Amino acid sequence: MNRREAIERTALILGYAISAPAMMGILNGCKATPELAFKPVFLTQEQASLVSEIAEVIIPKTDTPGAKDAGVPAFIDLMLKDVYSQEDKDKFIAGLNSFNEEAKKSAGSDFIDLDPAKQVDFFKSVHDPAVAAFKSGEIKERPFVLVVKELTCLGFFTSEPGATQVLQYEAVPGAYHGCVPLAEVGKTWATS
Amino acid sequence: MNLNLDAEKQITYDAIVVGTGISGGWAAKELTEKGLKTLVLERGRMVTHPDYPTATKDPWQLPYSDRPTEEDLKQQGVQNRTGYTVRQSSKHWFVNDLEHPYTEAPGKRTDWMRGYHVGGRSIMWGRQSYRWSDLDFEANAKDGIGVDWPVRYKDISPWYDYVETYIGVSGENLGLPQLPDGKFLPPMELNCAEKELQKSVKDKLGRVVTIGRTAHLTGPLTHNDSPQRGKCQFRNMCIRGCPYGGYFSSNSSTLPAAEKTGNMTLRPNSVVSEIIYDEAKGVAKGVKVIDAETGEQLEFFAKIVFLCASTFGSTFIMLNSISNRFPNGLGNDSGELGCNIMDHHLGVGAGGSFDGFEDQYYTGRRANGFYIPRYQNYGKEKRDYLRGFGYQGGASRGGWSSLVSELSFGAQLKEAVGKPGKWTIGMGGFGEILPYHDNNMVINKDLKDKHGLPTILFSTDFKENEIKMRKDMAADAAEMLEAAGAKNVKTFDNKTGIGLGIHEMGTARMGKDPKTSVVNQWNQVHACKNVFVTDGSFMSSAACVNPSLTYMAFTARAVDFAVSELKKGNL
Repeated sequence: MNRREAIERTALILGYAISAPAMMGILNGCKATPELAFKPVFLTQEQASLVSEIAEVIIPKTDTPGAKDAGVPAFIDLMLKDVYSQEDKDKFIAGLNSFNEEAKKSAGSDFIDLDPAKQVDFFKSVHDPAVAAFKSGEIKERPFVLVVKELTCLGFFTSEPGATQVLQYEAVPGAYHGCVPLAEVGKTWATS
Repeated sequence: MNLNLDAEKQITYDAIVVGTGISGGWAAKELTEKGLKTLVLERGRMVTHPDYPTATKDPWQLPYSDRPTEEDLKQQGVQNRTGYTVRQSSKHWFVNDLEHPYTEAPGKRTDWMRGYHVGGRSIMWGRQSYRWSDLDFEANAKDGIGVDWPVRYKDISPWYDYVETYIGVSGENLGLPQLPDGKFLPPMELNCAEKELQKSVKDKLGRVVTIGRTAHLTGPLTHNDSPQRGKCQFRNMCIRGCPYGGYFSSNSSTLPAAEKTGNMTLRPNSVVSEIIYDEAKGVAKGVKVIDAETGEQLEFFAKIVFLCASTFGSTFIMLNSISNRFPNGLGNDSGELGCNIMDHHLGVGAGGSFDGFEDQYYTGRRANGFYIPRYQNYGKEKRDYLRGFGYQGGASRGGWSSLVSELSFGAQLKEAVGKPGKWTIGMGGFGEILPYHDNNMVINKDLKDKHGLPTILFSTDFKENEIKMRKDMAADAAEMLEAAGAKNVKTFDNKTGIGLGIHEMGTARMGKDPKTSVVNQWNQVHACKNVFVTDGSFMSSAACVNPSLTYMAFTARAVDFAVSELKKGNL
């Protein structure tokens, strides 16, 4: 499957059309702002696009759906609006802005304008040191990059595609067996 | 004249039950099955089995991944103190704190988790079901604490048999004197890591680890009187209400049984404000009710009244029932009404992880864990405080959340998440709190609830005995996990208030002497013989085991006594 096919298939699954200019933008390396699959209720259009791209880097579409397919960007937007306290909202937006500023400084452009490989490289350059600093206890509070990662994972693994295709889920197990060979069970359960 | 008599007849019953939770449901069933026309009053809305709105929702059908919103926390900030009650899937079972406020004495904390609806907390209860033993019934007398229980294990044991058989309790008989055997359905399974703990703790420390005893159907009931009950489906969504009737609740069990007799009138939205005392006859005449929907004030009359409105609920009603005979609250000659608040203190224990069992996993979601019965101040293990604690815990393998702080992201994360994380194991103690006279509740006339009724001012605190015990609760947990070979063992001791165990007890305590207690050995108010109090308020001590099974046994026993007294013409 080539890149155009992949994009078209995604559009098909999600039931929305990608406009021609946007499609050109994507094929040319994301020069135009990618269209959003949802109308943000908290974030601005720009912020929502940026969050969508970051979420898709964290959980990309592979042979199973990715963050965008699972509606994660809209989930994050809604969580920020209704679940996050004002303080955490402010921290998130500040973190999002500095993430993009850093992208401009070190990778040369807005994060959403970077080509996919460069998006991954840049994300890694922010993510990996943050993980190390957090794990070592050097920083006590999760930095932005881990907050957005947590939100992405939360939204994705509680979504139907995340829970049923990447993990496994059984609505009505009917019984509990305490010691079963992992090979027989297969993948991680989505819920405990 | 005749009109008035007719009107009075319409609102007159043989018995009134206040509350529909664990105790009220049992009182309703027992009274109606013995042929009494019974009015069952519930302050909250109607809930009919199996109509539990979120019970079958999959994770993606719940907004906000089930998390509470800022608005939810504004409405239910106190109810959220547990950290697990205010969820999108369960918040409708807990009160709005703004509509039903209470007050805490300066610098003190009391946690009051409540649900105002038919079924009460029997919908959201923890379902762990343990018998008391004489270690518990004799404790106050031996230690010179509070008042002696006028009841011993032999008195209540047949009633434990009776309620266990009716509700269905899954568990393992162990022959332990301090945790008596019961009429059990097949036990649930421990998993690999828990079995390792069980073996190591027995071999190295001589202590018992068993599967939790829980009011779930792991096999068929031995009777046909609960057609709403079905086998547990291991969904672990119990707090939402179970449409399968997999666990015991009033809604799936006792209330339908009462309904079937044709003798029950269930009236939801009926807030009982006080008991009407008949000064001439020296008995309760009935109750005053505020209709929660219309605000209308009503009165209902009966020969006997069962108060099952929850510990603080029933005690509030008694404190709010003022007459010439009882200027300090109905039945409060002793001055003990509202005092001696107890609970189980928890939120302290240890956790760790295992390196092994990597090729082992489990299927199904078990709404239960392991249980370690009390071993302190029993047998050889003497400690520097009174009484003791049991542990509840569980082991499981990590899910996606353990990857958030790991290096993987992208396709690599999707790959890694499919393999379950390490085995982790944790356990927390449930410790006995002693009855202290000054851990109390009084009526607060300065703050009114949404019905215009006064509210409660609590003053409760942990004291030296509990604080000492908590050190052991953390240290022993770590000791046992380490004995089992767990790694990265860390203790925890979270700040909690009295009430966070949601096992509040003690405010109308049972005793032999009317001068020092509120109810007698039959849960009968010493000084007002046709009022029975059978929720947690009658508890004279707390033991360290979950109390609901004991409330059920005492309620059934009290009804048996009350009806026989009624028939003898003594009431």
